[in-house]
Amino acid sequence: MAGAGVALRLEGVRRVFDGTLNNPVAVIAGMDLRIEAGEFLAVLGPSGCGKSTLLRMIARLDQPDGGSIVREPEGGRAQTAFVFQDAHLLPWRNVLDNAALPLELMGVARAERREAALAALGQVNLLEAVDRYPAQLSGGMRMRVSLARALVTEPRLLLLDEPFAALDEITRFHLDVQLRQLWRSRGMTVIFVTHSISEAAFLANRAVVMSRRGGAIKLDRTMELPEQRTNELRADPRLGQEMKLLLGAIEE
Amino acid sequence: MKTLRAILPPLIPFVAITATMEFLVREGFIRSYLLPAPSAVFLAIWENWGELAQAMLKTSASALAGFVLSTFTGIAAAVLLSSSRWVQKAFYPYAVFFQTVPVIAIAPLLVIWFGYGMQTVIASAFVVSIFPVIANTLTGILSTDPALRDLFRLYGATPAMTLFKLRFPAALPQIFTGLRVAAGLAVIGAIVGEFIGGGGLGSVVDVARTQQRVDKVFAAVLLASLLGLALFGSINLISRITLRRWHASEQTSQQAQ
Amino acid sequence: MLRRAFLKTALKTGPALGLLAACGKSAKIRLALDWKPEPEFGGFYAARFESNGVDQRGLDVEILPGGAGTPTVQMVGAGSAEFGIVAGDELVVARSKGNNVVALFAVYQDSPLGIMAHASRNLSSIGDVFKAGTVALQKGLPFAALLEKKYGFSHVRVVPSPNGDITAFLNDEMFAQQCYITSEPLTARKKGVAVKTFPVSDTGFNPYSTVLATSDETLHKNPDMVKSMVAAVREGWRAYLDDPKPTNEKMHQMNPSMDADTFAEVAEVQKPFIESDETGKNGLGTMTKARWETLIAQLKDLGYIPAAIPAEECFREL
Repeated sequence: MAGAGVALRLEGVRRVFDGTLNNPVAVIAGMDLRIEAGEFLAVLGPSGCGKSTLLRMIARLDQPDGGSIVREPEGGRAQTAFVFQDAHLLPWRNVLDNAALPLELMGVARAERREAALAALGQVNLLEAVDRYPAQLSGGMRMRVSLARALVTEPRLLLLDEPFAALDEITRFHLDVQLRQLWRSRGMTVIFVTHSISEAAFLANRAVVMSRRGGAIKLDRTMELPEQRTNELRADPRLGQEMKLLLGAIEE
Repeated sequence: MKTLRAILPPLIPFVAITATMEFLVREGFIRSYLLPAPSAVFLAIWENWGELAQAMLKTSASALAGFVLSTFTGIAAAVLLSSSRWVQKAFYPYAVFFQTVPVIAIAPLLVIWFGYGMQTVIASAFVVSIFPVIANTLTGILSTDPALRDLFRLYGATPAMTLFKLRFPAALPQIFTGLRVAAGLAVIGAIVGEFIGGGGLGSVVDVARTQQRVDKVFAAVLLASLLGLALFGSINLISRITLRRWHASEQTSQQAQ
Repeated sequence: MLRRAFLKTALKTGPALGLLAACGKSAKIRLALDWKPEPEFGGFYAARFESNGVDQRGLDVEILPGGAGTPTVQMVGAGSAEFGIVAGDELVVARSKGNNVVALFAVYQDSPLGIMAHASRNLSSIGDVFKAGTVALQKGLPFAALLEKKYGFSHVRVVPSPNGDITAFLNDEMFAQQCYITSEPLTARKKGVAVKTFPVSDTGFNPYSTVLATSDETLHKNPDMVKSMVAAVREGWRAYLDDPKPTNEKMHQMNPSMDADTFAEVAEVQKPFIESDETGKNGLGTMTKARWETLIAQLKDLGYIPAAIPAEECFREL
């Protein structure tokens, strides 16, 4: 579904953190990247390579120290959604109110946001848990609430920072499939930061590998894999090949 | 049965210590004019119940009033302090003053400012109990999950929204910790206020001490402790009820996907 | 860095520890006062510094100043002080509870307790004080119970005694407070308020005051030491009465809250309480059985003691 996503143009993006007094560390030293509308992009790299920093800048939670990040088209608050590594739900609210939170913050009326939240929760198969509280949910269920919350504003840009890293493998596999389905049905641009090479290969149709230092892109690979991704693909040799390429770039 | 299991562990040392003390005083190992036998203390409570009950009521009222004042003022002050780093740096040291000033030194000042009577006792309870409320509330508000703060920022929440929908509710467990500490302190503050300003259990302790009636002193002190315990327990209960959804039991959290 | 700090600490504590060990050798005799160093204790401080009487008799006395609520009678009973300053009525009550302290030397022959009121009220007797206004008293004291029994407190608001502080008194004309006749009225007059003082002794309740006491046990185990102590104290009081100035200076340094002029004034004003025909005949600090008997009867009457105790057990003339 083209047009439902946002395209991004990063030019000369630079982000510097204070290292020692006269020696600031450039976490990202001039990155160029173009992301098409509706793409599912995975971002890989070793720890400390700046991938989370990159994501935060794209989300506009952080400002670059140099260069520009342009969105096409520009949009309002509803445009972007962010999913963190932990679900980060409000423990004093039930599942429904948690999912509805973004709309509440944007001033949407109660009835409307209830409806939208129910719809989003339906998309992640959590309708039977709407009245429960986060403390009563498993890790996987909490992450699904977090996903529903991200989807409730019908974002055109969905950013995820290692969202499934804290979950067990079976849950991960299920959520990977679910995420991919949601992307296919809505068509938003997805940028997915991960440590996991297999997850990156499985989920994305394009992957970039960032260098250890300085945020340079070592590999920009469009996956040669079918559009339909099911868990059977996990055992497919084609997935293995993509993973080999990605691993090679990381280990270089 | 469950209540019995809850009461039994603290009850056993209590019975053991009381029995030991009773024995030591009766056999003369401890002089009764220095430390009364527990039986003497209970007898003193029984014989002076009318006076002690009334005194206890008065001290409770003052301590409670001082505590409620601390709660509201303390939370409001902490919210104000959290609004900007400059405000915090400028005014927090004065909040610390409430913690460090020895109340027994300023109680006479309180009498001069507020006169003799319950208002001074309440003021004393307030002064002694406000700091933990401010400190804990401030810590709670300032230590909100950064990811949630980012989330609120992402969707354009105003500072007011972030305060009332995120930071304050998130701070509640910490606020209750502060209130638990403040509860006991409010009782102590009230008793000290009563030493100087008159009335309540503080006055009973002061007069009994002058009369060398150690049994009555301990009776009043025991009742004061029970008062503090009651207030502390009430806060605990309110805390548990308010926060019950946050800390559901282990069993229910292991739901199947 | 750490080694230097360690050496520094060792060098400082070493000699101190040595001194402490040396102190342990001579048994210090502790005298616990029930208030700060003031003229009412002048003779004790004079005994230590002035006439040298103490040192000559081989007594190493440490005077422990007190404050509001210092429990001297319990300290002596428990053995945390060999001697203490107590009130006569306090002593009787203690004995009735099994705390056997015994009086040795009564500095104040007459009780210096009183009620002070603003002179502008034109009150004529102590009973008038309880007709209106506020009265600050230590309610637990026998004399307060006596006043309540005699005059009733229903027309006044009774508040705790401010322990020497006269701020409330100065600010409120209808405020009367318990005082030492030798102390608060002087301070009030200095602040420009005319006062009328009513001695409690006028009601007939007149216990010995600022009494040097020890425990029956100490007296029994160490009669010579106690005798020496009393003799030294008697000499000290004589010296202080004859010339209070040097001792006042010493006490003023320990207690700057009272100024030098007041020290001199109080030392003068307290003389009639300390010296009388009785003390002229039998020596400073003398006590009689009759006085103790009267006190015991009064305390029984007020309900402070359940039964009368033998007066001769309450004091010793040494």
